[in-house]
Amino acid sequence: MLLRRIYQFLLIYALGVSFLIVLKYALGLSDYVIPSLTVLWNTSHEVLGAYSIDVISTLFVAIIGQFLSILLALLVGISGRKATWFGSFIKVAAYNVQAYPIVAIAPIIFILLGDGFLSRLLIAAMICYFPMLLAVVGIMSEPVPDIELFYRQTQRMRWQLEVKIRAFENLSKLTTVIVGSATLAMAGTIVAEFIAASEGIGYSIRIALYQSDLAKIVVALFMIGITLSVYQGVLEGVGQIVKRTWTR
Amino acid sequence: MDPVSVIAAFQDGLKELKLIDNSRKFSLVVVLLAVLATNFGIGRVAADDQVRYRLKWLINMSTVGDVYAEQHGFFKEEGLRVMMKEGGPERDAIRELEMGHTDFGVASADQVIHAAAKGSPVVVIAQLFQANPLQWIYFQNRSDINSLSDLKGKAIGVTFGKNDEIIMRTLLAQAGLNENQVRLISVRLDYTPFYTKQADLWPVYINTQAVEIGRKLRDAGEKVAFLDPADHGVRFVANSIVTSARMLDEQPQLVRRFLRALLKGWAAAIDQANAEKAVAAVQKYDRNTAKALMYDQLHATRRLVTSETGEAIGHMDSAAWEQTEHIMLTHGQIEKKVNVLERLKKVDGMVTQRQP
Repeated sequence: MLLRRIYQFLLIYALGVSFLIVLKYALGLSDYVIPSLTVLWNTSHEVLGAYSIDVISTLFVAIIGQFLSILLALLVGISGRKATWFGSFIKVAAYNVQAYPIVAIAPIIFILLGDGFLSRLLIAAMICYFPMLLAVVGIMSEPVPDIELFYRQTQRMRWQLEVKIRAFENLSKLTTVIVGSATLAMAGTIVAEFIAASEGIGYSIRIALYQSDLAKIVVALFMIGITLSVYQGVLEGVGQIVKRTWTR
Repeated sequence: MDPVSVIAAFQDGLKELKLIDNSRKFSLVVVLLAVLATNFGIGRVAADDQVRYRLKWLINMSTVGDVYAEQHGFFKEEGLRVMMKEGGPERDAIRELEMGHTDFGVASADQVIHAAAKGSPVVVIAQLFQANPLQWIYFQNRSDINSLSDLKGKAIGVTFGKNDEIIMRTLLAQAGLNENQVRLISVRLDYTPFYTKQADLWPVYINTQAVEIGRKLRDAGEKVAFLDPADHGVRFVANSIVTSARMLDEQPQLVRRFLRALLKGWAAAIDQANAEKAVAAVQKYDRNTAKALMYDQLHATRRLVTSETGEAIGHMDSAAWEQTEHIMLTHGQIEKKVNVLERLKKVDGMVTQRQP
């Protein structure tokens, strides 16, 4: 699973770089517009160390942000699973928060919290939270009649059991959503860093943009892609272990 | 009129011909052919030349000459239709020149030198700002900066990766200060670190942000002053007009006409007698800045565009360009010399616009 993710990424990345190189030579563009392979190679030697630290810093924030958003989505999803007034209120409130584009809210967050760890974390969590919420609300609102009926008729149904049954029956779906949300958490953290933070790979991309250095951006994209592929592969692996443990 | 409507008009004309006499048929055909010729560019005259012009930033007082030239018909007088496009941090006029997305643009010297170092065929045809607008604002009651050595121990805002970082590092090097003796703070979207006095100095553009912030702070009873790198011998070239070497070689007349109109626009815009028109020209795009502030901004811009030595508008200051290249080389921004002076191209036959 992990290896497949890495192969897939390397293939896509190689295709992307090849496209740029073909474009460069077909249109006769200078290294300023599209860097040559030699420039890319030299740049990667120059910045790989620093970018590795940056991307690990970004991943660290993204993981915590994703974890928080999973917790929040589960909390809202479980609270809002009932078709009660409170359930509807929780859902509407949760949806409305997401209606504001993050780039509009980000400056307020940075003014209030500064450009440190907390701002990056909050933005990462906010970006990956909504798809998580949709999936969790969908799963938690959907009864599993065959199993739930038995517990209801024997009067042994509690809310914890209901959540457990619904989560277990949709474990594959949940795993897919969590793996997918890793991309969003990473993207959210990068967006936060790009807008205003002073560390992480998003910040390095912003500096490279100021310097009009596309080679650095291409190297940064490689670092982001490979790190994300490994992280997603690990998440998928964890999902399989959880499933095996539950079904044992 | 677009080609489809021209064809439709032509078809209508043909239908009409059946109903009218021969002499009128001939006149009508002549008129229709003239319309077709005009619309499809047959015998196109210079008056229809369309060029694209990418600015460096959003339209504000730093682009007053550009918008003045457009709104007062200076481009039209030269037979040009100019599509002016706003810039921004993600826009790079030099890259767009090479990709064929623009014909002219505004870029700073560091962008030109970076591009030249990577083989871009960019050339500079005019230097709009004779002085760099970038300065550092500070509270006078907190910091008294009489010499560069007074920067020691200060928290200074810089945008890492941008030219203000290079300029500040040059100033620090001149003062014999190393990075451990100051605290460089990453500049972000808002001025909170400066307002809350976490930062002692903050970079601003003297003709735009500085006017606005300076006024706010003075109104609040604060005394502010500015650190101008030029006062300490650092003359890093800012906004200049760039085009591609190919454009200059293949269409020198077009370049000449564009530049003539543009510099005429700048000369008129900074003329005291046209202050009201200049402010109105910018205000058409920049609706968020108060009109009173705009007059102050125009005054500050005037001082950037004119030179103390009375050179013509658009004069390319070779010494400043050489110094900019030297600074970039010293700070490892480029690996080797690019001989930037070879990129400065005086356009033949230009009637220079003297300072008003």
